[in-house]
Amino acid sequence: MSDVPSEALGASGDAGSGDVSMLVAYRHDVHKLRGRSHGHGAEQFRGVRVNESVPLGADGDAALLSRPRGRPRDTLPARESWRRVPLLAGAEAVLADDGDDDVGDVGDAGAGGAAIAELVVSDDSVALHEAWLGASVPALVSESVYFPTTSVKYHTLLVAALLDNYRAGNAFEDLWLAVTSHEPGEVATVVPHRTVLVTPWFAVHVTAEPGDWPAARLGDVPARSFADVWTRLPDVPFDVDEQRRWRVLDAQLRRIRAWSTALQYIESFTAALDSGGSGTPVAGWSV
Amino acid sequence: MTRVQQLLFGVASPYFGHPYFVTGHALYAAIARRVDAVTRRSIAVSHGVFVPCAYGSPVDGAVSVRPGSKLGDSLPAVEAYADLFLYRDAAHRWVSASRPRDATNTHPLQQYRDRVAFADAALFSRPADTEGAARRVSWAVHCYVHADDDVSDAVLPISEDVLDGLRVGGGRNYGFGELSLLDSQVIALEDLDYSRLHAADEHRVELVTPYVTASEFPGADSQSVPWWWDVAGRAATGGLRRRATRLVKGEDVYDVETIDHGQTVPYAGSDPVATARNGVTRVGTHSRYGFGELRVRPAGTDRVPERGEGRAGGDA
Repeated sequence: MSDVPSEALGASGDAGSGDVSMLVAYRHDVHKLRGRSHGHGAEQFRGVRVNESVPLGADGDAALLSRPRGRPRDTLPARESWRRVPLLAGAEAVLADDGDDDVGDVGDAGAGGAAIAELVVSDDSVALHEAWLGASVPALVSESVYFPTTSVKYHTLLVAALLDNYRAGNAFEDLWLAVTSHEPGEVATVVPHRTVLVTPWFAVHVTAEPGDWPAARLGDVPARSFADVWTRLPDVPFDVDEQRRWRVLDAQLRRIRAWSTALQYIESFTAALDSGGSGTPVAGWSV
Repeated sequence: MTRVQQLLFGVASPYFGHPYFVTGHALYAAIARRVDAVTRRSIAVSHGVFVPCAYGSPVDGAVSVRPGSKLGDSLPAVEAYADLFLYRDAAHRWVSASRPRDATNTHPLQQYRDRVAFADAALFSRPADTEGAARRVSWAVHCYVHADDDVSDAVLPISEDVLDGLRVGGGRNYGFGELSLLDSQVIALEDLDYSRLHAADEHRVELVTPYVTASEFPGADSQSVPWWWDVAGRAATGGLRRRATRLVKGEDVYDVETIDHGQTVPYAGSDPVATARNGVTRVGTHSRYGFGELRVRPAGTDRVPERGEGRAGGDA
């Protein structure tokens, strides 16, 4: 952490300095949304500082939840695109560049620019957290060109959750994956910065204080451990006893190891169910 | 001598059945109608775990696989106890990272009217301007059969002709759920290397398949949690996840209460190797049909191999 700027280290309990560091989390990967490597990222976006290092190692730890250690290698040769490759696309998962790559190269003034602005410009970090939870544009972008099924949306939300827990004095080994459920149409339980996924039926949180929510420890070090942690939950937030579609989702989540890939899969799966009404996931099934 | 016959089937057509695995009961029913009465009465069939066909390297104590092997289309040799479980965990941590691993190991889904099936293969197309055809990931199902001790030598191995072309799951009379036999081998549990378990002072028990606590099935006993599961030692991570499922026998459907698979508990017994062997032939109600399969691990090991790398240091 020697390269972390000292002014960015938010002291826990101090709302002012604490809030500054949370803004850094939501602004740290703007270069990816714009299809650029970190070295070519701008320092400013619409008047706010972006692409800064996230303090307390939260970015590096979140990366290890979804990507391997060491020098990355191409897993899809000749692709070189920031556009995320969806896993939920039926038998013909098109793991290839599908031509339209404007998501990864939006201009400052375009519609993409406006969508990015909603995610980074505000000085209210709680509002930015809410914006990221509901955002669609970063769900189209991978967190690394080398790992095209990862999602920069859920990478960013994991960075924020880790940072908020760390600045409160917790270590990684203190953290839990926790789940809450709610009736469709009701408001989901959202903990500022620590809720990493909201669906029409349930929410997923990374927190040191799970209370009485069903929760499983993340383990002592960050790793691509989603399947392991999910499988150890004392309860899942949907009714696998009654509906096969939830068993299908549960079965898939026991297979997916990268955290941002898994959270994105839940979003895509539940969105397909939601758009198909309460019955079947027809509409939108093939993302 | 306890022998098991490992079987690997290719998924030859889309599958409509239980999403977590092909149940041992479904596999038993498919096999039972093709074999003689003695075999039918004496065999027990494990749940079938779905396996992608991919390159990979051994993890988690497995010793018999060469790094970088093509897996999922054959049964590797089994030398150590851990080798038995190479294909038994749906997370399939052996799948190589040189391809998008989570894409390889996620079931390709297909929609048929209002139901979702697992496709028999995923096609990964390549960018239009590059050489080479689409890459195809086919899927397999791994299970194993054992028989009552007194007839085991007579019954096993079950003939490969009998096993090829089984059909399981919904819609099997309409071409769904066809399994083609890829490989078969017989293993004697007593011949395996259990040295990692002997060497460890503490152990954990992993539920590879659900453990039955109550069943509506006639004559089935209710079971409490085995005394040798240290559930209190697990309290810090919450209670045991339970799940209701069903056992279908002909026209009848029986509700079954289980402790769900995938969870681990500290081992409180005194003979981990005996427990390990019994866990392969399974414990508790409906063990003949795949329930109650257990794996014993040395307590210090982690089923997520990367956590070990992280503890050892290394650059992020």
